[in-house]
Amino acid sequence: MIEARALHKEFGAVKAVDDVTFRADDGIVTGLLGPNGAGKTTTLRMLTTLIVPDSGAALIDGIDVTKDPMEARRRLGVLPDARGLYPRLTAREHARYAGRLHGMPKQLLEQRIEELVQQLDLASIADRRTEGFSNGERVKVALARALVHSPRNVLLDEPTNGLDVLATRAVRDLIRKLKADGKCVVFSSHVMQEVSALCDRIVVVAHGRVVADGTPDELKARAGTASLEEAFISIIGSDKGLVVSEKGLVQ
Amino acid sequence: MMTAVLGKEMTDHFRDRRTLLSGLLVPVLGPLLFLGMFSLIASWVREDKPLTIPVVGAANAPHLIAFLQRAGAVIEEAPADYEAQVRDGKLELALSIPEDYGKEFEAGRAAPLQLAFDSSSNKTRQQTARARHLLDAYTRRLGALRMIARGVSPSLVAPLDVTEVDLATPERTAANALSMIPLFLLMAAFVGGLHLAIDCTAGERERGSLEPLLVNPVSRFAVVTGKWLAVVVVTAVAIGIALLGFSIAVTHVPLQDLGVKFHLGARETIGLLAACLPLALFAGALQITLALFARTFKEAQTYLSMLMLVPMVPATFLSLSPIKTQFWMMAVPVLGQTVLMGDVLRGEGRPLYWFGVAAASALLAAALFLAWATRLLKSEKIIFGRGA
Repeated sequence: MIEARALHKEFGAVKAVDDVTFRADDGIVTGLLGPNGAGKTTTLRMLTTLIVPDSGAALIDGIDVTKDPMEARRRLGVLPDARGLYPRLTAREHARYAGRLHGMPKQLLEQRIEELVQQLDLASIADRRTEGFSNGERVKVALARALVHSPRNVLLDEPTNGLDVLATRAVRDLIRKLKADGKCVVFSSHVMQEVSALCDRIVVVAHGRVVADGTPDELKARAGTASLEEAFISIIGSDKGLVVSEKGLVQ
Repeated sequence: MMTAVLGKEMTDHFRDRRTLLSGLLVPVLGPLLFLGMFSLIASWVREDKPLTIPVVGAANAPHLIAFLQRAGAVIEEAPADYEAQVRDGKLELALSIPEDYGKEFEAGRAAPLQLAFDSSSNKTRQQTARARHLLDAYTRRLGALRMIARGVSPSLVAPLDVTEVDLATPERTAANALSMIPLFLLMAAFVGGLHLAIDCTAGERERGSLEPLLVNPVSRFAVVTGKWLAVVVVTAVAIGIALLGFSIAVTHVPLQDLGVKFHLGARETIGLLAACLPLALFAGALQITLALFARTFKEAQTYLSMLMLVPMVPATFLSLSPIKTQFWMMAVPVLGQTVLMGDVLRGEGRPLYWFGVAAASALLAAALFLAWATRLLKSEKIIFGRGA
């Protein structure tokens, strides 16, 4: 389970994340949807212990990430915004490195790597150096690295960004598999189709705030629209109106 | 965890041509240069030919010429453009005897002579000194004769009788000439792990693999230490290769011909290793910390190339004006190692604990830099790059 409680983060004068609160339960896929620059990546970075929030709390399975970052990281599998690979290491070696950093026993690690190689359809490239891999292949390797320790909670930052149709489908299949295994999956995206295709629950973020939170049907009902896309636009739009009226109220 | 980081960096960089180049090839350059330089010097000296003095106007001073020939010099007719030839290095030196030499000589006045040479040339310095020496002897002899002829004791004009006693042991003379060995070992220490240090810090961030690394349950200290150890291993190998290169080069250089008694045996090699290896600890920590500051791989390269000049400062200073080694120097990283290496080569034994203190100070400085690097790696600005 992943929980964000009133997360807040400023970079100089810029409020990257103003007030983000949501809860992602086990066994469902939670989508963090919002336009570019809405604060999704900063939120994920706070959840993954890379950025310390100015205020608020991030909890992984009830563990406060600022108080016990090591335990939180142990329970997380992360595909960060930066997903660079080591060009001189093979796909398998990437997963092995992550597994060793998680302190996995050797036999279990090799077994798990083999599992992921099958699952992500990496067999043909598993022992090739990653230099020259396609975008889709690179994301698959990064996913294998993120999931090698079988984390209960999975955070994916724009996992299908820049992927072709086939690779996108592979990633979607993987997310569904994780859900079926009862994992807590949170992924961020600015692409409507991705979110609507996969998510049981959608958290809409704009201007560093959560502006809507619910199942796709709830969001559609709330916005009074037939499609999720219209609901999304109407929510972001009404959010702007909301901000103006709030300012009006303050004044 | 630390060993996982170390293992990965070793596997990764064992496959990297640039790491191998900076770690293995650069250290060999020193010994090669050494071999070339000393072979060249030796070839000059080995030409132990008789002193040849090209002379203009030999007929003007038959007595002087006879004296020079008796002293073993070969007298030649100098070409008309001897000055230009000396300047161009075609002629080592030339003696010019003007026509009024005989007149002045007979009148008992100082007879003019001209010795043309190029003082900027190492090659001709020895021949010139020999010629000078002969001319001085001739002058003294004539002066003494003239004084005796006038009933004056020659010792009146020689109030001082200076005898030169050269106390430099052959080993010490050798170490002066061989001061390039410590310099190149220092360079190996600061170049050996250079590429790895940059690649695993600034490079790691630039290729976007730092974030995925840091989301693993590994303390920042373990990450820093693992990377540091990888740099230290490569640096230590570089130092070892440089030293091996030198011990091979030394046996192939005709040092005896240079009048240099020098021995780079097991004892000296172990001494050099004991002095220099701890430097790998310090250099690695320093390089990793500085490279973390850099925005990009290129920027880190610029920083660290400038850093390479730092160890050269004490070494250059010491070779220009040697100061006596003192115990406090052991507490200064780089300086301690530099003077210790010099002492080992000079055959000046130092107590073992001096080596210990020098190593400990290098380790302490390394620990401080590692603590700093660990702090840097916790900073959001460093993880995501400044300006991001």
